[in-house]
Amino acid sequence: MTITSLLYLGFFAVVALLHYALPRVARPYFLLAANYAFYCYDPSNRPLALVLAGATLLTWVCGLVIGKSRSKVLRVVFLLLSIGGGVGILLYYKYWNLLADAIGGITGGTVPHLDLITPLGLSYFTFAALSYSIDVFKKRCRVEPNLLHYAMFVSFFPTMITGPIERYPHLRPQIKKPRRFSYTRCAGGAFRILWGYTKKMVIADNLSVYTSFVFTNPASMNGPNLLAASILFAIQLYMDFSGCCDIALGVARILGYDLIENFNSPFESTSFSEFWTRWHVSMTSWFRDYIYFPLGGSRCCLPRRLMNVVIVFVVSGLWHGADWRYLMWGLACGVLSAFGRLTFGARKVLWRYNPLYRAVWCKNLIQRALVFLMFVATLVFFASALYNADPYGVYAGIFQGWQGGLSASWDSVRTLLHDSGIDGRLPVVLTCASLIVFAAESNGRSVARWIRNQSFVLRWTLYYAAAAALLFFGAFGQSAFIYQQF
Amino acid sequence: MAQHTQTPVPQQPQRLQRSGRVAAPPRPAKAAPRKRPSLIRRFFYGLVRRIYFGGKTLFRIALLVPILVFMVWVSYTVDRSGLFQGALAPRRIVDLMLQGYDVTNFESMDEREVVQLFAQDVPETPQVIGIGSSRILQFNRELVGVDSFFNMGVTGADVRDNMTSYYKMVTYDKAPDVLIWSVDPWVFYGSEAAYDYRADAELYNEFLTKVLGVPTDYEEPDKVELWKALVEPAYFQGNVDYYVKNRGQDVVTDDDGNTIEFNPVTGDPYDQATTIKRSDGSVLYDTAFRNQTQEQILALAAAASQTFNSVHMEGFDEMSQTQIQAFEAFIDYAHSQGTTVILVLSPWHPFLYNYLLNETDMHKGFFQVENWVRQYCAENNVPLYGSYDPECIEGIEEMDFFDGLHCKDTGIKKFFPGVPAVLEAIETNTLPDPLAVTPRTSLPTAEDSTETGTQDGDMADAETADTAA
Repeated sequence: MTITSLLYLGFFAVVALLHYALPRVARPYFLLAANYAFYCYDPSNRPLALVLAGATLLTWVCGLVIGKSRSKVLRVVFLLLSIGGGVGILLYYKYWNLLADAIGGITGGTVPHLDLITPLGLSYFTFAALSYSIDVFKKRCRVEPNLLHYAMFVSFFPTMITGPIERYPHLRPQIKKPRRFSYTRCAGGAFRILWGYTKKMVIADNLSVYTSFVFTNPASMNGPNLLAASILFAIQLYMDFSGCCDIALGVARILGYDLIENFNSPFESTSFSEFWTRWHVSMTSWFRDYIYFPLGGSRCCLPRRLMNVVIVFVVSGLWHGADWRYLMWGLACGVLSAFGRLTFGARKVLWRYNPLYRAVWCKNLIQRALVFLMFVATLVFFASALYNADPYGVYAGIFQGWQGGLSASWDSVRTLLHDSGIDGRLPVVLTCASLIVFAAESNGRSVARWIRNQSFVLRWTLYYAAAAALLFFGAFGQSAFIYQQF
Repeated sequence: MAQHTQTPVPQQPQRLQRSGRVAAPPRPAKAAPRKRPSLIRRFFYGLVRRIYFGGKTLFRIALLVPILVFMVWVSYTVDRSGLFQGALAPRRIVDLMLQGYDVTNFESMDEREVVQLFAQDVPETPQVIGIGSSRILQFNRELVGVDSFFNMGVTGADVRDNMTSYYKMVTYDKAPDVLIWSVDPWVFYGSEAAYDYRADAELYNEFLTKVLGVPTDYEEPDKVELWKALVEPAYFQGNVDYYVKNRGQDVVTDDDGNTIEFNPVTGDPYDQATTIKRSDGSVLYDTAFRNQTQEQILALAAAASQTFNSVHMEGFDEMSQTQIQAFEAFIDYAHSQGTTVILVLSPWHPFLYNYLLNETDMHKGFFQVENWVRQYCAENNVPLYGSYDPECIEGIEEMDFFDGLHCKDTGIKKFFPGVPAVLEAIETNTLPDPLAVTPRTSLPTAEDSTETGTQDGDMADAETADTAA
């Protein structure tokens, strides 16, 4: 069941209706049933529901022992068991073939590849479950005696496709005491869903027509198109991923749950480190809390601190998939982030002598542009992994084919945009829509909250405008969400 | 003298006691615990709350319904893939015909689709319709004598085309008052050879199963998938694109961008270089075909006589009992719908018919048909006009044909008096006796010739006597 299908909306509508028809005490249990119904809808996922249930049961039992036991040894053993179980599932389903190659390379033997189907939302529910065990161990979270409440948290269907990666201390009070129906919350949630669909289907899916066209044939593309595709891919990725998160947050909001905000105007960051506090917040904070801090975080010598940063990004890269290009992407992000931290002091001194930095707006603009370009540069690895291209070929290609100057380059990009299907009114629509999204979400503004403060007429005009944009320019029947596969 | 005074030394500020020393207010008495409402009260409170918010939410959702309605309306109206309103090209043809235009490029038309769409789109039920093969396509408003006429004949029509054309009208609740059926001989042939590949076999099976009660492998089509397209955003977008592209254009394109070459006839319809479809469904052949010389027509008739059986009659040795039953059931069905059925036997070119008489063994089935039809019409009081045998039609001659198979309007006029006259004859019970005409089914023997010659001589004598009187 894809999020962009009418079936998903129908399923959600029925769930929401029944959810509010039930007494509040019964709602988490009903939602648990709905979660598993959602999970089992696709026949290929049905047997894998056991994996979800198994991971839930294992981490819950471990959490129970960790929380109740006074023996430190027992607590550590069960923590390791929980982590081993969670990571084991992740490694088995996601990285088996990569590990098999590695083991084969080391031993000189042949370890057979397995044709495994990855369970839906594997990376998300394992991380959510692991965070619970670790939080209980660290006494940041009380142990949950109710298995069904915990199971509802792990399998919560809005977060199953692309997250955000929830934490139990955040969701627990909401599960324990479900909210009463609030029309305002629901209306805000509904608009958030509409906003998400617009970002995904109007902007991201239309841009993907061009980017996929370029990245699937990078060898035959010239520099201007490779550069344009890299830049547009960054926008596409943001619209795609944040759009899906908007839908998830909107759905959860209607059901009475507030999830973690996954994006906070990342393209307004003025440093690369700051960027990663605004992009995919739930994942970066997860890595920060459960990998970076245990490694020593910032409370150690500079070289180790920088090494910790690089390690976290490399792991983050691997989280995206068993592909060396994701690994390289993580490494590139880690190195850039570490370099940024290393040179921060020196750069700060140099700012004083930069006349352009005297005006704050100018300084912000330049820094934001540089951060964006750095992100674009690293994303070449990411896009190459996604479209199975050679990233070094793309990097090399970007610097070629500029002979005719900017005018000829622009013509070349425009022609390819047109040929790939972005023609007619679509370029204007995409440009305007992207600008509207960036402006509306500027400074981390909550669009859903903002629209609730508008007058009835303006609000409904905007609803209709968003629906019309979706209806007229949405790319229906396109690809699934990029982060769905992770 | 000025008096000097010293500046007063500022005094320490005095603390002002703004409130008197009063006793602390008594603590409020502990409020009595609120009594929890009873279960029933809570239940009804919850119910009312749910109804209120449910209604409010539904109302707001209803405000979005116009978007859905607009989407459905566009998808249904434009319908670029012809899911609901038929393919674009036939739709254009029918639209033009309904506006009263004759349409060009008849050879490229999907006539069956045109008939289907006409049945669907015609706003007022035509009083008279004609069904049959290309041999009925010369029936037009003038010949029929009724303005409200539509010719639903299609080229190469088999029995399935005949029956489903009428059935389509009935399914749209547009059963005509009068049905003119040009019965071709292969209607009674039960072989696959009698069928035309273009006919709508599924619709025929539906007709047989649902109307005539004849069991077939017909299955009710799943229309849910079809109607889902109405709320399919991708289909909506395609329709919007198509509409924007073709709006106000002289040249209309189909779904694949190919030009649809069906346009209104300009100028005199009788002076066209190509065959055209008239607005009443009849066909007007191109000028060259209409104005052939007798020799040319004879050559075509001779050619047709060689390939006669190939027109749905390969191996037609005997009339099929199944087809006979279907024929009778169809006539009964039409009567049950309040339709008067007029059967027409369109003549063949004299050369061709005479040629067939030379090889009757090869056309046994063909020669059985007319006599059976005549017998049937006589027994059931069904009006019957015309004859396969041109000799049975008074005054018809070779120039009344386009070729071996198709009779011109001049020929039709010689055996068909028009619908008003037929209806009047029915009312006054003065229909011509079908059995009064005996078509030739074999070549006359020498004795027959002698008898015929004597009879002819007698009649000639009688006529001479009458004239003299």
